Parts: sequence; structure tokens; C-alpha cells
Amino acid sequence: MLRMVVLRLLAMIPLVFLVATGVFFLGQLSDVDPAENIVGPNATEEQVAAVRAELGLDRPALEQYADWLSGAVRGDLGESLYTKADVTTSLTQALPITLSLTFGGLLVGLALGVPSGIWSALRAGRAGDRAVSLLATVGQAVPGFWLGLLLIIAFAIRLPWFPAVGYVPPGESLTGWLHCLVLPSVSLGLIAAAAISRQTRSSMIGVLQQEYVRTALSKGLSKRRVVVKHALKNAAVPVVTVVSFQVTTLLGGSIVIERLFAMPGLGALAINAVVRRDPDVIQGIVVLTVIVIVLVNVLLDLSYAWLNPKVRSL
Amino acid sequence: MSEVKVPAAAVSGRSGSRLLSRLVQQRATLFWAAVVLLVVLAALLSPLLSPHDPLKGNIREGLLGPSADHWLGTDKLGRDVLSRLLYGARVALLAGLEAVGIAALIGIPLGLLVGYLGGWPDRIAMRIVEGVMSVPFLVLAIALISVLGPGLTKSMAVVGVVYAMTLLRLTRGQALAAREELYVDGVRVAGAGDRRILFRHILPNITPPLIVQVTLMIAGAIIAEATLSFLGLGVQAGQASWGSMLSDAQASIRESFFLALPPGLAILLTVLAFNQVGDGLRDLFAREAKGGSLGVNPVHHESGSGQPPPPGLVAADPLLRVRDLTVSFPQPGAGRVTVVQGVSLDVAKGEILGLVGESGSGKSVTAMSLLGLVPDPGRVAASAVELDGRELTGLSFEELRKVRGGAIGVVFQEPIASLNPAYTVGDQVAEVLREHEGLSRAQARARVVELFEQVHIPEPDKRIRDYPHQFSGGMAQRVMIAMALACRPRLLVADEPTTALDVTVQGQVLDLLLELRAETGMSILLITHDLGVVADVADRVAVMYAGQIVEGGPTEDVFRRPAHPYTEGLLASLPRNVRRAGRLPSIPGVVPPPSAWPVGCHFADRCPYARPQCLETPVELSARGDDRATRCVRAGELTLAGVGDVPAAGEPLPPAAGRPVVKADPPLISTRIEKRP
Amino acid sequence: MKTTDPGPLLRVRNLTVTFTERRSTPWRRPGAVTAVNDIDLDIEPGGTLGLVGESGSGKSTTARAVLRLVRPSGGSIEAAGFEVGSFGRRVPIAYRRAVQAVFQDPLGSLDPTKVIGDIVAEPLGIHFGLRGRERDKRVAELLDQVGLASHHGGRYPYELSGGQRQRVNIARALAVEPKLIILDEPVSALDVSVQSQVVNLLEDVQERTGVAYLFVAHDLAVVRHASDRIAVMYRSRIVEEGPADRICERPAHPYTEALLAAVPDPDPARQRLQRERRRELRAAAPAAGPRPATGCPFAARCPHRMPVCAETFPGWTPVPDGGRVACHLFGGEGTARPSDTHPDYQETSR
Repeated sequence: MLRMVVLRLLAMIPLVFLVATGVFFLGQLSDVDPAENIVGPNATEEQVAAVRAELGLDRPALEQYADWLSGAVRGDLGESLYTKADVTTSLTQALPITLSLTFGGLLVGLALGVPSGIWSALRAGRAGDRAVSLLATVGQAVPGFWLGLLLIIAFAIRLPWFPAVGYVPPGESLTGWLHCLVLPSVSLGLIAAAAISRQTRSSMIGVLQQEYVRTALSKGLSKRRVVVKHALKNAAVPVVTVVSFQVTTLLGGSIVIERLFAMPGLGALAINAVVRRDPDVIQGIVVLTVIVIVLVNVLLDLSYAWLNPKVRSL
Repeated sequence: MSEVKVPAAAVSGRSGSRLLSRLVQQRATLFWAAVVLLVVLAALLSPLLSPHDPLKGNIREGLLGPSADHWLGTDKLGRDVLSRLLYGARVALLAGLEAVGIAALIGIPLGLLVGYLGGWPDRIAMRIVEGVMSVPFLVLAIALISVLGPGLTKSMAVVGVVYAMTLLRLTRGQALAAREELYVDGVRVAGAGDRRILFRHILPNITPPLIVQVTLMIAGAIIAEATLSFLGLGVQAGQASWGSMLSDAQASIRESFFLALPPGLAILLTVLAFNQVGDGLRDLFAREAKGGSLGVNPVHHESGSGQPPPPGLVAADPLLRVRDLTVSFPQPGAGRVTVVQGVSLDVAKGEILGLVGESGSGKSVTAMSLLGLVPDPGRVAASAVELDGRELTGLSFEELRKVRGGAIGVVFQEPIASLNPAYTVGDQVAEVLREHEGLSRAQARARVVELFEQVHIPEPDKRIRDYPHQFSGGMAQRVMIAMALACRPRLLVADEPTTALDVTVQGQVLDLLLELRAETGMSILLITHDLGVVADVADRVAVMYAGQIVEGGPTEDVFRRPAHPYTEGLLASLPRNVRRAGRLPSIPGVVPPPSAWPVGCHFADRCPYARPQCLETPVELSARGDDRATRCVRAGELTLAGVGDVPAAGEPLPPAAGRPVVKADPPLISTRIEKRP
Repeated sequence: MKTTDPGPLLRVRNLTVTFTERRSTPWRRPGAVTAVNDIDLDIEPGGTLGLVGESGSGKSTTARAVLRLVRPSGGSIEAAGFEVGSFGRRVPIAYRRAVQAVFQDPLGSLDPTKVIGDIVAEPLGIHFGLRGRERDKRVAELLDQVGLASHHGGRYPYELSGGQRQRVNIARALAVEPKLIILDEPVSALDVSVQSQVVNLLEDVQERTGVAYLFVAHDLAVVRHASDRIAVMYRSRIVEEGPADRICERPAHPYTEALLAAVPDPDPARQRLQRERRRELRAAAPAAGPRPATGCPFAARCPHRMPVCAETFPGWTPVPDGGRVACHLFGGEGTARPSDTHPDYQETSR
């Protein structure tokens, strides 16, 4: 088991390297010149060239890449061309915010999605199931930021229960932190809940038709035991897969939600960096998200091993 | 490829109209398709429909509520919301089509190719896809947009490329699965080349899921467009897009929350419509409707004819007594279809009753209905189901579950599939004991080891810790039997217990059942299609055909002198290990489906002895002698051939019943048997 | 008829098929499974060879190797004048014309999106370039030959019964007038009453067209009805081979004997004997030992196991009434044989 984790972590290195390299060289293809952005539209050729030299942008791409890479392996992801802020520091400040949102959303998604999916599967085809399914379909059709907007209108403006914008670090005030996370987590989580609920329902229905469920019934077990012990563990495998997709989606979705709720997370960094083209920042964000996602997936793989003994015995 | 002449018209007409008629049944899908059409129309006709210029507004008329002039009011800059909404539909749909078009053009052909080729092209492609998909969609889109610069066309191209990865993976998965299908081997052997296989056979088969996916993707792309425009990475500032309208709405959220509603609802409705159409298509293409929750249907009590069945099906000292058991399922367009019709039988104490029949005979449903395990839409009714004098009809789920696994144990056909892959076998057997007998964990474990010994599983104390996939079929079936025996049942229901096993293992399992019967005195209801298995272990046999019992009696008598033409035909057509004597006798035709059962004899249209009167009225079971029953109007006049009468060339007839079974038998298998005195 | 011996239609020598297991994890070395181990087969033109064995014996893999659906890792297959081993990725179209197949799953082997008429017509187009009316006529003929009506041509596979589907598969195989048809468990998915219909149809077809069959099945009784000769396979090896009646009445190999004892018979009197026999055999068998890595694969279950059995796979010994057996009981020097078994074959061990 430990070996599997270590190997999975080692396998992560080439992936991160691949993605970082891809993003770097794609960036080289861009016709947006950060130097022009910095000196402004009225600058002369010479001024632009001077800035470019100063920033090291006139060096060959490979040299720039080697430079970035040698820094990156030491944990130095470079600095912003515009603010001169250290990328590693900016990321370490922004990441907790984004992660709080992502896991807040995941929590809401799981808490609503799994039970509703099971409930729905057990009465497949009947009114209750149709209602839940309809809600889930609607949930999947709602854009997260719109939902956030509605939540702000309802629960921050009309009923001033939660802050409309802003972020409170947990170190400053734990309740403040939880408070400010509610609305964004719900707006992210409801959509994840819809996807998780649909998947739970369909894999539960599939499992309920398996022969071992019939066996469990033939043993005279109660319905509750059949569902909770025999069906759920087997139905969980595809649900875990969907959850791992959802983590990726949530992480991306939190970019928009951060913007909506004016939280200084990775999203705010990313959008600014894209608009101005700030290569090191973009690079850093991509690498960081990939690492986070791979780590989450390793965790999920461990849960597969628990759920499916066949995987374990390898 | 042109169709065969005769059916050509029928073909296209049939399949097309059938899909269409199913579509018409899906009212909801039609409704959502209409919504999609409306959005498309709004987009196409937006210049005509819009009451105002979507881009210009009078800033002094900003943030007006809905009015006759501005149905949906105006935004902060005084622009007409309705007009912007209509133009926004255009942007949304174009964006969706662009992204999905790019995705389909890249993803589907590539996916098809790598899926079919396999090997290193597949591995390389999948590594790339994996890499791309490990970055969150939005982060990736943002990174790529940073390269290309913002703008709707570029943004959606990026979205398209990202979606292409999803489609590639899906197509590849489908192609990979399709490649393993037997029909691909079939056409390959028929001489089809790679290209023909790929485009003529695999592509049509994987098209339905792709259509569904593409439809759902359009919905996704519309959300993506709105999101990117909301972030300012999509349409140019000021341009009408549902996303940018929401961005504007956010800016004036404290002055007018109404602005947030129209564009949001427009996105919601459009995306929902595409999703619903996609789901509807999925249901449409699915061959069989899925459904079914936990299938449990207790037996309802219904008073029957009150007439006892003829001898052959009754026992003097019955453990199980079933009267007038009927099982029906609802069928679309046909009301309820009866699959088991008035089955009455007894199982005596300590007896093995073989319930034999071909697929579609209703034998398994009969057995499952006794336990209340008929899947959900089914309805089970009987005038009596008595186990050891206790009436089981009308019992609730809770009452019946005490019987299942307690007084009645069950063994199914596929032992490995019947065991839960997620738990050890020891745990699964112990569970019955803990449930019914309230044993402690340690007690249950000790008893499981005993049970495993009883069913001859080697090293029981080790094997209880193994998972089902670590067992061979034969050993897994022993686990199932141990589980069924755990609470010392009076009746064991064995549904095709040997069918999935290799023939040499089959014998071992049958011997085990015989041994256990002798040890415990339990009765066994053995459901099987295999007459050889019945001959081997069953004391009595009931033959089922098309939902009815057609014959019953002591196994040896029935097989030697069948009283129903179906039994005769079945015995004759079974290939046996005897010298071949020309053609195998066979029963012409096929078993009719439940919806096509005639009023009269169900077997009449395949029966060589059929007379017009066979079809007129329902045929009842009648007594034959003092221990036989048959459902044939001509039973009295027919003399039918049984197993003793195989006219095999060069083979003496086997000895008649009653005579000692020895030397007279043909050289059966080995010299050793011949030598036996 | 030529006076000279045309030689066998199918000639398999030392065929070995090895599969590499799919790697469960990237860092694990893929294991190899030998599905077919050094087997020989011959089929004369117009003859039927039954290949019988339990699941996992390698019988279906053998069939698929002849069809070049799997790539052999050793040995040679000559069929209808072709050296199958020399084929690359592309199999010559002429080989597909000579050798056809019918598979176990009648529904699965038909493309679900095509109607029966098109399925049967496909090889006609590929091999003979038949089009339009001519082809339709031939399709109708073929359907008629297998006992289907022409209106079945417009049906989809899922609308037919199991037996009818298998008839479609036979019609498609017959469309190209092959010399050899590989029948891979052609009736095991069918109900008994339909099984015999299909076996009879196959016999009729053979009588009429002179096609040869490789009849692969697990059911010895069915194989006996359909075959002239039978080869018995156990765990990747052929252990016995010979005329069908001899194999089924006087088996030489202990495995064949066990297999025969397990074939259930609907005659309760005969079945009682069968049951006794199978119990005797099992009682005589040693407690299941581990399967030897080398040597005879049956050694672990064999009532006559000798030390040598675990070491080498036995060579072939001819059997008096035809065929041959691979068992240390009969061949080789210095091998003992229990005297109370197989008195008939005393002389064969010389």
C-alpha cells in the first residue's frame, strides 16, 4: 500500500514536468509582449527593447526555460513581471483560500449528493426519484457564478446573514472564516452535488440489480442492511471516480467564485496574470493545481483499494 | 450498401418509424427539443425580434424595471435587456457550436483511430489526454487564452480543444470496447478489412453514445462561454453575451437584482434543454429500459380453484406446498403479461424435486417468487404457499425475511457473481448466522469454519479470509452452499446450481448436495434445464413449458415413459453419449413468448401429435396412474418414447426399471465398469 | 476426386499461443500465460474434428489461432493451402473465403445495427462483388438453406430467437462457400430442443457442401454426435485424440475418463452408473496437489499419478482402435502402470 502511494507520487513528477513544459512553450508562441504592456502604448522601440532585456525576455526560449526550471526544482517559481512579487510567496498565500473553497464545495457536494442519490435509486421511477432527478438535472444546468450571484442577492443583500464579499483567514477568526465560506461553498457545492447525486443514483441502480444483492436478500437481511452494507460499497467505486472529476472541476470553478466573492485566491491571481500575460505566475498556478489534483487523486486511489479488494491484492 | 431486396423498404421503414414512435412516447424529450428549437430561432431571428439596439442605450434610462417599451427593463447603461438577451442567444449558440465542432472534429476521429489501433499510438495519445485533463478546465482555458489573447472565437477554440480530449477519451473507450465485441470478429472472419470494420461496423455502434455526449457538450460549452465572458475573457466588453450581462448585473447588484435574472434563467433554460435532449436520446438509444429498485415482492394471497393438483405433483407429507402460483409482469402496450400460470406442486420432506424446463419456461421465476425475490414490477399471487404448515402468502417483507436464509436457503447459478466482491466470504457466510441466530462474531466465525468443512472447502480457517475473486467457480459454489446451509434450512432452493460450472466440477457439486441431503434431511427444490442433472439427483420431476407445469411424477418413470409430448421431445433431442444414429431428433420451432401463449395447449404448435381440439380450451393437468400428472388432452391415447427407447445403432437397450443395472448396459465409459459384477 | 491424397485440409503442428497478461500496474512485469501448448491437429477435407475441453483448456484459443484472430507464438498452421503463420497484420481475403467461423454467442457475433439481410450479404459483396438483385437472390437462397424465411432478412438480430440467430451466423459463414468452418461452441448457448436443430442443420450442410468442421465444445455428448474424430484438451495440451466412438467408449487418458464420467445422462439407470464411476474416480484421485509447472497438467488430479508425471509431459502412444494418447501410463520406459486399470491397453505400452 505504502509502495503504491510512493510510486504514484513518483509517477506524478513526469506529469508535472510535462504540463509545465507544455505551458511554457505554448507561452512562447504568444504574440502578446509583456514588455509592451509594461512600458505602455506610447513607448518607443528602444524603450521596449530595454525593458525586454532588463526582464531577460530577449534571451533564447530554451535558456529562459532552463532558468525557470532550475529555480522551480528549488521551489523558486520566479516572480511577477509586473508587481515583482515572488510567485512562490503569492501562491502560498492564495492557495489556502482556493483550497478552502474547493473542499467546502466538495463537502456540500458529498453531503447533498450521496444521500439524495441513494434515496433516489431506491425509489427509481417513482415520484420522489423523479423530483430528485429533476433537481439534479437543473443543478447541472446552473452556472455556478449565477447561483453565487443569486445567493448573494438572497442571503447577503436581502437577508444580510453572510458577507457578500471578502475573505477572513482562519488564523484571524475561525468563525469569520467559516462564515465567509458558506455562500461560495454552497454555490460551488450545489453543482457538484447534482453530478454526484446523478452518479450515485445510476451506479446504485446498477448495483441493486447485481446477483450478490439478490443473494443478500435471499439471506434474509433487512433492506437497510442490504443497501448500506452490500450495495453501497460496490456502488461507491464509480462515485469516487466522479468525485475525483469534481475536485478538478471545483478547483477550476473556484476561480470564478473567488472573483464573484472578491477573494484573493488563485483565481484572482490567474485572471490578472492572463490579462497582462505574466508568464511565471501562470506557470506557477498551473503547476500548483496539477500537483494538488494529483495528490487528491492519490488519496482517491487509496479509497479504491479499500472499496475493491481486487485492487488491493495486486 | 444497398439492402436486400425484399426487406429493403421494410427495414428503413421499420427501424426509423420504431425510433420515431418511441420518441413520441418521450413527451418530455420532445418538449425540451422544442425549447432548443426556440432558442435557435431566437438566435437566428434576433435582429428581427429585438425591439432595440443591443449595444446602444440611453444612460439616463439606466436600470429601468420592466415596462411596455423595455419588457425586461434596461441595464446600467440604459441598454434594452431583452434585445441583449436575444443577441446573447446568438453568441451562446455560436460559441457552443464552435467549441463542440472543434472537439468533434479532433476528438472523434482520433479517438476512433487510437482505440482501434491500440498499441503505442494509443499510449501516447492517452498520456497527452491524461496530462491535459489533469489541469482543471478553467485553469487550462485561462492558460491557453493567455497565449492566444482573449476574444470569443479564440476562447471557444480553446474550449473546443479541451473538450476534444474528453471526446477522444470517450470515443477511444467505446472503440476499444467495440473492438472486443464478438461481432467484430464475425465481420473480420467474413473478410472485412480494417477500414470497413471501423466505419461500417464500429462507428454505427458507438454513434449513439457519441451523439448523447456531443449534445451534453453543447450545454457545457454554453456555460463555458458564459463563464469566460463573465470573467472578461470571452466577448469584447460591451458586447451582448449572457455571461457579460451577468457581469454587468453583478456590478449593479445593489441597485437592481432583477438584472441578474434574465440572463441566468436564459442560460439555465438553454443548458437544461440540451441536457434533457441528451438524456432523452440516451434513453431512446438504450435497447432495454433500465430500472428496478430493490426487487422484493411478497406473495399475495388470492383464492384459487381450490382443486388439488393431480398426483405426481402432490406429496403425502409435504414440506413445501404451493397452490395456484401466478407471476405476472407489466408490459408496455400489453397490460400485464403472465409468465407463470397456476403452478401447484409439493416438495416432500427430504425429497429432491427437479423443476426442469428451457429458458422462458418460468422455472426460475417460480422459485424466486416463493422467496419474494421476483424483481420489482412483478406481481406474485398464490392461493397457498405453505412451508412446513406455515402459510407464507400475505406475509410482509419483514416476516418473510425471517424465512429467507432461515428455513429456506438459496443457491444461485453464478456463484462468483452471487457473492459480494467487496467482502470476504467468511464475513458473508457469518452474516447469515449473526442475522438469524444472533451469534457473536467469534461464534459465527467458528460455525463458518465448520460449514466450510462440511462442504469440503480445503483449509477452511484460511479461506474464510479470502475474497470471492480468489475462488474458482466450483469452490465459490461450495461457499454459496455453505451460506445457504448456515441456519440449517428445511428447504434448499437451488437455481441452476451447476450450470455455470465445468462438467467435472458439476458432478462434485451434485454429490455434495446429495450428501448434505442425507446428512440434514432437508428437501431440495432443484431448478435446472439439464435433464441429466435431474436424472442424477432428483427423486421427482416437474417439467415446465411456457409458464405451466406440463408433467410431473417420479423421475425414473417420467424419463422412461413420458406422458407429455414435450417431455418426449426434450428427452429425445438431448445429445447423449451414445453411438450416433443419423440425425438427432429435435423439436421444431421455438418457445413462444409469454405474450403469445395460446388459450389452449402452449405446446400445440410444436407438437407432432397436435389435433385441433388441443387449441380450443385451456388444457388442465390430469392424473395418469396413481403417481403421474400430465397436461395433454391426448394423454390417454398416446404412447410416448422415453430414455430407454433410444434407437441407437449397435447399442442394446438399457435395462428396464426394476432389473438390476449391471452387465447388460452398453460399454459405458471404461472397462472397469464392465467388469463390475 | 483426385486419386492422390490431397493431404489434410487443416494441419496444425506444435501450435503454441502465449498471452501476456495485461499489466495491472505500470511497474509490474507482465506475466505470460500459455493458453495453447504445443498441439497438433489434422482435419481431412469434409471431415469433422471435435475439440473438447473445459473452460480455460485453450480450445477456443486454438480456434481463434486458426482464424488468425490471435497470433500464435510458435508452431505452424496450414489451412486450405495457406500458411497462417506467414500472415502479417492483414489476412489474405482468399483465406477468409476458405475458412469461416460460427461463434458461441449467436447474438454477440452479429452487428446489432445491421439487419439480417445485410449481415448475410456483406461477405457476398466483399468476396464476389455481388451487387443488387443478384446479391439479394443469393441472400434469399442462403437464408432458405439454413431454414429461415426471406422476411427474416429485414429483422434485426435482437428480434430473432437464439436458434434463428445461430442460423444467420451459419448462413453468413456459408455465403463464401468455405472449405472449413470453425465452430466455436456453436450450440452451447442454445436450449436443448434448439441445440439439436442446429446440430442437424450443420450436418445437412456438411452433407450437401462437403465442408469440413472444427467443432469446439465443452459438451462431449454434443461433440460425439457431430464429429468423426475427437481431440481432448486439458489446460493448454491435447491429451488424447482418436475416432469419436473409440474416445467416448474406450477412453485411454485418465482425464478423458473423468470427463466421460461427468457427462450426465437423462437415463436414470445409466446415470446411476455414471455417478458411481465419477465418485470412484474422485476417491482414487489424490488430494488436489499444486499444478506442476512442467509435466502433465492433469497430474494434480490424476488417480494414477506417478513421480514422472510432474516432470515431463508424456509423448504420444498409439491406441489400438485408433488415435493416440499422451500419458505416462502407456508410453516410455521404466514407467509403471497400475495393473488393474486399462487392461485393454496392456499391449500398447509394450
